[in-house]
Amino acid sequence: MRPWKYVLAAGVILGLLTGCSNRKVIAPEPQSKIIDPIPVSREPDLVVLLPDPDGKVGVVQVTTKGGSQVLYKAGYGTMIEDDQKPPSVPRPITENEIKGIFGEALSAQPDLKGRFGSFTLWFENGSTELTAPSKKMLPEILGLIKERKSREIYVIGHTDRVGTDAFNLKLSSQRANRIRDLLVLKGIKAKEIMVSSYGEAKPLVYTEDEVAEPLNRRVEVLVR
Amino acid sequence: MNHNKWWSLVPILAAGLFLLVVNEKASAVDSSVVGTVQKAGGTVNIVRQGETMNAKVGLELWQNDTLRTGPDGSVGVLFKDDTSLSLGPDSALVIDEFVFAPHQGKFSIVVKMLKGTAVYISGLASRFEPDSTRFETPSASLGIRGTKFVVKVEEK
Repeated sequence: MRPWKYVLAAGVILGLLTGCSNRKVIAPEPQSKIIDPIPVSREPDLVVLLPDPDGKVGVVQVTTKGGSQVLYKAGYGTMIEDDQKPPSVPRPITENEIKGIFGEALSAQPDLKGRFGSFTLWFENGSTELTAPSKKMLPEILGLIKERKSREIYVIGHTDRVGTDAFNLKLSSQRANRIRDLLVLKGIKAKEIMVSSYGEAKPLVYTEDEVAEPLNRRVEVLVR
Repeated sequence: MNHNKWWSLVPILAAGLFLLVVNEKASAVDSSVVGTVQKAGGTVNIVRQGETMNAKVGLELWQNDTLRTGPDGSVGVLFKDDTSLSLGPDSALVIDEFVFAPHQGKFSIVVKMLKGTAVYISGLASRFEPDSTRFETPSASLGIRGTKFVVKVEEK
């Protein structure tokens, strides 16, 4: 434990040295102007919403200490001048601006061929019956699974907010199971399908309780 | 005569067993892998537990890694849930947290961008848990609901 004595000594000496430097000697003002410190970049930060590879547009909420802005339209961006101010009101950003600023980052994007396939199937009100257009999507889903020889398929069930939480938890589970069963019927192995359900807890579109919303009555099928 | 032939198999069997054991250990370590480098151009480094390494295509990334690109650098990363992240030149970003465990219902992605330009495309985690992703910059916090966006952070 002897080394500790040296550390303590070093600490004491350092403390004394810095303590001594506190006694200020005021020097006369230099004749030349004080040089400005290196100017801080005054360019704002920028966030721009873009459509995802499937063409869908999500939402990005940008929050600073001064406030918040929501981006929900593709091509719209908000600027952050400093963290005390709210982000700027979203405005359209031109493709040229985007390419100019983000060109290299865009070129470095990973190949999207390997990206998961995603499908949303919709249901009739309060039921496990698929809507007519959604029924037509099943062959496409099966096609992709077989094409990729996929062994990792996720089926996620949801409902809108009509009905109790408990009822909707059960309904979303029944919907997800129904889709799983349809896939198994067509030759997909059940153990390769992971089923989960969230009731009314994770809507696509926010609504008040007990509001019917067809867009939330859905099952998402994700194919790796 | 046959005795000798069989004995020569022993080292081969031992080697096989050894490889099996090593593989088991390797896959245990694999569970800490959060993504891989898919594209890399110019100067790209990963800083991991104080050590800096050159990032090449195929390099596996761990939680807490810092990605850094030089003035000529750019990098594209694919996370385990197919989240896509790419950086332009003079950029730095930390992978603060990455949890993608569908069987346990656990999803959490936290990324801290220090400077530069980035392109981000949400992956599977956001399909399970819409609010699972947080993208932080020095001035702002970005809440993301399943989407693609680009962000530029000026060096302060």
